[in-house]
Amino acid sequence: MGKKKNSLTPTTFSLLHATDFADRQLYNIVPPLKAGMIVLADRYAYTAFARDVARGVDRRWVRDLYSFAVRPDLALYFRVPIDVSLDRLMARRVKLKFYEAGLDMGWSQNAQESFRIFQGKVLDEYDRLIDEFGLSVVDASQAITDQQQFVRGLVSRQLERPTLVETAVNQ
Amino acid sequence: MIPMAEDFQGANGNIQPGRYYGHGLPYLPIEHYPGKIIAVEGTDGVGRSTQIRLLREWLEVQGYGVVETGWTRSALMQPTIELAKSSNTLNKLTFVLLYATDFADRLEKEIIPALKAGFVVLADRYIFSALARAGVRGVDRPWLRSLYGFAIAPHLVFYLKIDVDTLIRRVLSARGMDFWESGMDLKGGDDIYDSFRTYQNKLLREYNSMSDEFGFRVLDARRPVDVIQEDLRRQVQAFLSSSDIGVEGPENSTRQLG
Repeated sequence: MGKKKNSLTPTTFSLLHATDFADRQLYNIVPPLKAGMIVLADRYAYTAFARDVARGVDRRWVRDLYSFAVRPDLALYFRVPIDVSLDRLMARRVKLKFYEAGLDMGWSQNAQESFRIFQGKVLDEYDRLIDEFGLSVVDASQAITDQQQFVRGLVSRQLERPTLVETAVNQ
Repeated sequence: MIPMAEDFQGANGNIQPGRYYGHGLPYLPIEHYPGKIIAVEGTDGVGRSTQIRLLREWLEVQGYGVVETGWTRSALMQPTIELAKSSNTLNKLTFVLLYATDFADRLEKEIIPALKAGFVVLADRYIFSALARAGVRGVDRPWLRSLYGFAIAPHLVFYLKIDVDTLIRRVLSARGMDFWESGMDLKGGDDIYDSFRTYQNKLLREYNSMSDEFGFRVLDARRPVDVIQEDLRRQVQAFLSSSDIGVEGPENSTRQLG
């Protein structure tokens, strides 16, 4: 709806994503957790903390906004330099998405240039989050098999912890 | 849950009219804007819209530029909220967030530009109805105040206060009881009269508890329309004449924003 008209402000962008997250938490996150299952979340509240603050919303406000979110048992941050992520996106697709490239901010008319500026700010915010929320950093410029091996090690150690119910099933 | 910091700044505490309640919008500094926000609050059926219409006419005759804003009128969110209301798929938290998005859209695209241009912004309900409705539905109050920390504290907030018996008679003689205004989503039973009475009682308690917190000017809404309007105009007049706002109004006082 809003995205097509390019009419979202940093705050309405942030609030709409929080609304979507609240809806997904209610239907897709809490029920499987209650059933003792493992929930794999491709992006979580941390994406909002990095992306929305890069757009200019207040750091504390967006953290308070997501205080209803369940805190993950393990949060993986796949860190990669901007050039690598840009190269990978270019290899997959022709056109950068409007908001993904931060074109709503008006920093540059050129999508690639805008992406570079915006994602630079996003990465700076992620770096703050590592210590603040104890994110586990994965070097995403490595080969996929190496990353996967490392991630499996982290997940295995997490699952061996006695805090998680033993009946957890992998779906 | 990710715990909320104890020293959060939200829509409460240190209130300075025309300034953000909390952290605000860091990318939109609003200091020294000439416009004023006048909010009229009160439950559904209390006579808010009538009072605002009369107040607007009077302000415009005096030469003030007036912009009106009201809930779910944002271009961005109106269709979504209407859809959500009719399909009954959303829970209370997602509803609260959709309403906040609607408010944020109107704040940035209507209210702030109007303040900058020297208009009087008449708000047919401000953030307080949203706070009251969500509070009644059990949404955490400190969280709600933090959420609306991006709102600007109005220069004046009038609260049209009414008791539930008078309200019931007024609503029934005007148009009847509505599903949402009766709090039927709270599933307190199938009797709309009982539900309306219980829900509106809780709502009125929420408004009353916010009266001191946010400095409401309380108007007895049981009085005749013209008596309330006279009271309203007297207080608005006293405020505007002591303020720096120009009676010539902005360049084009008939301009509609949003």
